[in-house]
Amino acid sequence: MSKYLDLSILEINGLLKEKKIKPLDLVLEAFDRIERNSDLNAFITLDREQAIATAKELEGKEVDNLLFGIPIAVKDNIVTKDLRTTCASHILDNFIPIYDATVVKKIKEKNMIIIGKTNMDEFAMGSTSQTSYFGAPHNPWDHNKVAGGSSGGSAACISARLVPLALGSDTGGSIRQPSSYCGIVGMKPTYGRVSRYGLVAFGSSLDQIGPMTRNVYENALLLNILCGRDDYDLTSSHRDVEDFTRLIGEDIKGMKIAVPNFFVSDIVSAEVLNKLNEVLDLLKKNGATVDYIDIDYIDNAVTLYQIIAMGEASSNLARFDGVRYGYSVENPVGIDELYSRTRGEGFGEEVKRRIMVGSYLLSGENAKTYYTKALQIREAIRKSFLKAFEKYDLIIGPNATTTAYNLGEGLDDPLKTFLDDILVIPVNMAGLPGMNVPMGFGKGHLPIGLQIIGNRFDEAKMYKLAAFVEKELNLELDPREVR
Amino acid sequence: MGDKLTREEVLHVARLARINLTEEEIEKYQFQLKKLLDDVDKIKEVKLDSNDKLIAPVDEKTVCREDEAGEMLEPEEIMKNVPVSNGNFVEVPVMINE
Repeated sequence: MSKYLDLSILEINGLLKEKKIKPLDLVLEAFDRIERNSDLNAFITLDREQAIATAKELEGKEVDNLLFGIPIAVKDNIVTKDLRTTCASHILDNFIPIYDATVVKKIKEKNMIIIGKTNMDEFAMGSTSQTSYFGAPHNPWDHNKVAGGSSGGSAACISARLVPLALGSDTGGSIRQPSSYCGIVGMKPTYGRVSRYGLVAFGSSLDQIGPMTRNVYENALLLNILCGRDDYDLTSSHRDVEDFTRLIGEDIKGMKIAVPNFFVSDIVSAEVLNKLNEVLDLLKKNGATVDYIDIDYIDNAVTLYQIIAMGEASSNLARFDGVRYGYSVENPVGIDELYSRTRGEGFGEEVKRRIMVGSYLLSGENAKTYYTKALQIREAIRKSFLKAFEKYDLIIGPNATTTAYNLGEGLDDPLKTFLDDILVIPVNMAGLPGMNVPMGFGKGHLPIGLQIIGNRFDEAKMYKLAAFVEKELNLELDPREVR
Repeated sequence: MGDKLTREEVLHVARLARINLTEEEIEKYQFQLKKLLDDVDKIKEVKLDSNDKLIAPVDEKTVCREDEAGEMLEPEEIMKNVPVSNGNFVEVPVMINE
């Protein structure tokens, strides 16, 4: 089998332009890789027939952009016309969308080829992808470890080099944390940067779609085509689409970097802190300044997430009622029984728990005690971040407190999944962009990731620092080379 | 107080969420929901200087698009995913008793 998918996007683009290879070569290679790595359980649905048909159609077209003909995987909570979209849930396991999400339209317009839909936590609720109705994906660096979540399938398929590009979604770290665990680059853009139309809603004020890739440059390339105003998402920004690769390769001299004290507190494991300190030394050596700062109320972010995300989820998931689509119980007696039995049988344990807690927290007087208070703290966190960005270019820290842990661990503890995301949730609360770039390895050669946080709409600056770290560390990030 | 919710409390929450639970689930959620709700309670202790709220982190004015007919879905398309249908109608159990 060919090895074109080990090449960079630029190299592949060159070969396509010179007609040395066809898009079909890339598609067949991707399916071959997926088949040989089926034990990773990275995909829920593959679209072999359509992908091959699209590849053949492309043979008659001009290679007019860098992403032309490149295979891409899409997280299974992003709707794809005529291609099953399950959200890794029993309640949608027969659901065939009748329209494309805006991001899916955009990748099709650029003639990228959708290979399939990636595994994830059910409705993106989890930090390990173990709540998937279809079983958990495995971490390519160690098959006994979790891939992280909720975009675990997207992270695993990029890390294992099954496809070069994937889409994920991030409500409370679901792009950055699995990217950290699997040693890839993942970007959660500014809230409003990418249209959410067609992303099955979880926490609407937190959700954002973003690119997951092997390296920083290709991540920026993919974000270039995902963003822009969409009339179907009221919260999408009117800002001009920019070239996110434009600062990559620039000197970092004079950059002002801040590290929140919370990000280096005793909640973070020693091996992660050591790697972070090495990176901080590297930045200082190259002319950046590093200060430690406090972000007010940042230690409350997990609690806010429990209230805001679960509250929004309980409302968003009310649409799954067995009436218009999805799983529906047979012979219900009355409409109430149709709803409650369908939802009882259709949703998994974690999703039910979150809907119930959300419903409770928003009911009656509780809304004031919990939800309103959470929104007030949320505003205080946002203000504190924005104040920091008056003085600093970027904020950095780790994405996860540890490296990936064993599959099966922590499943009985309903709090564990939230604490896994303690360092990534604050970004969603404030609507800021956050990303992961690998910064080394810990025990068992498991990846450790650096989190870079930017001011709103400052993704280009984040890519600049990420590309610098990537180049200086020059890590071997292909698990096949070291396993 | 204790380390679990009562059976009735769990059933009340499940009723709010329109979720049917098995006996086994009720027992499990008595402990799990209690643990989550206790954790969330920490928020009551937080002191704030301002009552400003942030519902969604959007700094542009959100304006509704013009109410113009655009691309439309065909009824047949929409009906494809409907569990129980009759022609172009969605069928549900009887909702109003005579």
